[in-house]
Amino acid sequence: MGINRVLFKLLGTASLSIGAVIIVFLFSEQQVHRNNAFTRRYPPHPVVKTYNLDIGYNSYYVAGWDTDFLYLGNSTAPWHLLRVDLGTRDTVHIRMEPLNKGLRYRSLETRVLPPYFYIMDGTMPFILRGTIGDWKAAPWMEETAFFNRAIPIDSNHLFIRTISSQTQRSALGIIQQTDSFYIRLDTTLLETQLDGIFDVDGMLVQSGDGMYLGYLYFYRNIFIVLDSKMENPKNQRTIDTVEQGQIQVAEANSHDQIQLQAPPLIVNRSGAMDGNLFLVQSDRLGRNESKSMLDQASIIDVYNHQRGTYEFSFYLYHIRKNKVREFAIRGAYVIALIGDQLSVYRTGKAYFDQTTNTEETTGL
Amino acid sequence: MICYKFPQKQSSINLTHESMKVHAVHKKHLITAIVVLFIFLFVYAATSKLMDFQQFTIQLSQSPVLTAYANEAAWGIPVVEYFLVILFVFNEFRLWALYGSFALMVMFTTYIALVINFSDYIPCSCGGVLENMGWTEHIVFNLFFVALAVIGILRLESSDPTQ
Repeated sequence: MGINRVLFKLLGTASLSIGAVIIVFLFSEQQVHRNNAFTRRYPPHPVVKTYNLDIGYNSYYVAGWDTDFLYLGNSTAPWHLLRVDLGTRDTVHIRMEPLNKGLRYRSLETRVLPPYFYIMDGTMPFILRGTIGDWKAAPWMEETAFFNRAIPIDSNHLFIRTISSQTQRSALGIIQQTDSFYIRLDTTLLETQLDGIFDVDGMLVQSGDGMYLGYLYFYRNIFIVLDSKMENPKNQRTIDTVEQGQIQVAEANSHDQIQLQAPPLIVNRSGAMDGNLFLVQSDRLGRNESKSMLDQASIIDVYNHQRGTYEFSFYLYHIRKNKVREFAIRGAYVIALIGDQLSVYRTGKAYFDQTTNTEETTGL
Repeated sequence: MICYKFPQKQSSINLTHESMKVHAVHKKHLITAIVVLFIFLFVYAATSKLMDFQQFTIQLSQSPVLTAYANEAAWGIPVVEYFLVILFVFNEFRLWALYGSFALMVMFTTYIALVINFSDYIPCSCGGVLENMGWTEHIVFNLFFVALAVIGILRLESSDPTQ
């Protein structure tokens, strides 16, 4: 048999094999990203990038704001805090300290809400609190409640997500400090579709003015808006069409762990709130949107939760193939953490100044 | 589909013939070594997958490439690997088995290349010691076996007496 004929057969086999895998891959990509049932609006320049700032590490997260100061916490250096003056681009490295030197912790998260900063570990559980400027964290709450997410609402309230001991499901709640601490859980807010843990997973958000709290489901097209007392809940649908979370949970394995059986379809990646606006980061493409755009930018959809409307969308651009890890909005700024860079955008007044709302809030 | 016609029977008879030439002995040993390596690889890979079948199924279904076909693939991959081992055992089917192994290793390599370059996250679904390999090492490892298959195929095909 001729060598050419053998090479031809080898090449044929290789092409068929490679082709088959690529086709299967493209098909699954298509399923994840394409949804022609909704259409986005991209008005010209709702946000304009002013600069990128090199912050040196990709482990920063948004810890809080103090007017034009943005505070970034660091997940690998939990006692370190970076303060960025968004106007002057000055950065200050801050070292926080616990008063209790022998403190034991597993995973710390810092939040800054003037005049205090909070260092929290929901697995121990404890919360330390100190004042901005002094940066010494004193024990504040201990062993009142476990939680897996928490954000301070004001100097004596925290918005948390925890697992209710009654229902064994995720629930939203408020930790309140009066003479002592007590927590109030509302097990009705998160609506179970499957198991009440995985399927309701999402993100706590809060508006900068402290008026509203929110919860963004990751796997369904819904976010919840609440007032600062966690009352008057209002569910709003996003423009996406996935109402039922597409997620599968496996049977417990031999180690008694429960795992996700398949990659869940992430409808909402992350969210942020400002005044009446609810911003949602989504990787899902609508009608007439080009797939290549997702390689260059992350899509942010803007909703008005008081009117219950979708307003518009805009892009936050990737930097050197790094995607937006987290974004936040406050006043005139939209910021995004991308790799080891901080992207700072200015918001266009015409688009974002929707806080003066003349319409009445319609019921619950 | 493309159909191949192989004159394996003649070639294997030729190889086991007593009066073969010296270079044919080398050929035979080289091919035997390649066959043994493949048998070892596939028996090991398939068995370690089946030993922790539930974990393997979950890992596959978490893979961004195979999500929709995870259950079929979880059975299919070990079955194909065992099937190739059986083909390797019989001299008449060694060439078929080599082509099959070549196709399978090319598919695995393509899969890894796609996952590394185009996927948002990287799951692992390899069994045993292979689990501890980095993705680059994995590609090198796969390419090594692709090369083995190619060498085996070229040798077997060229030992065809009709050439």
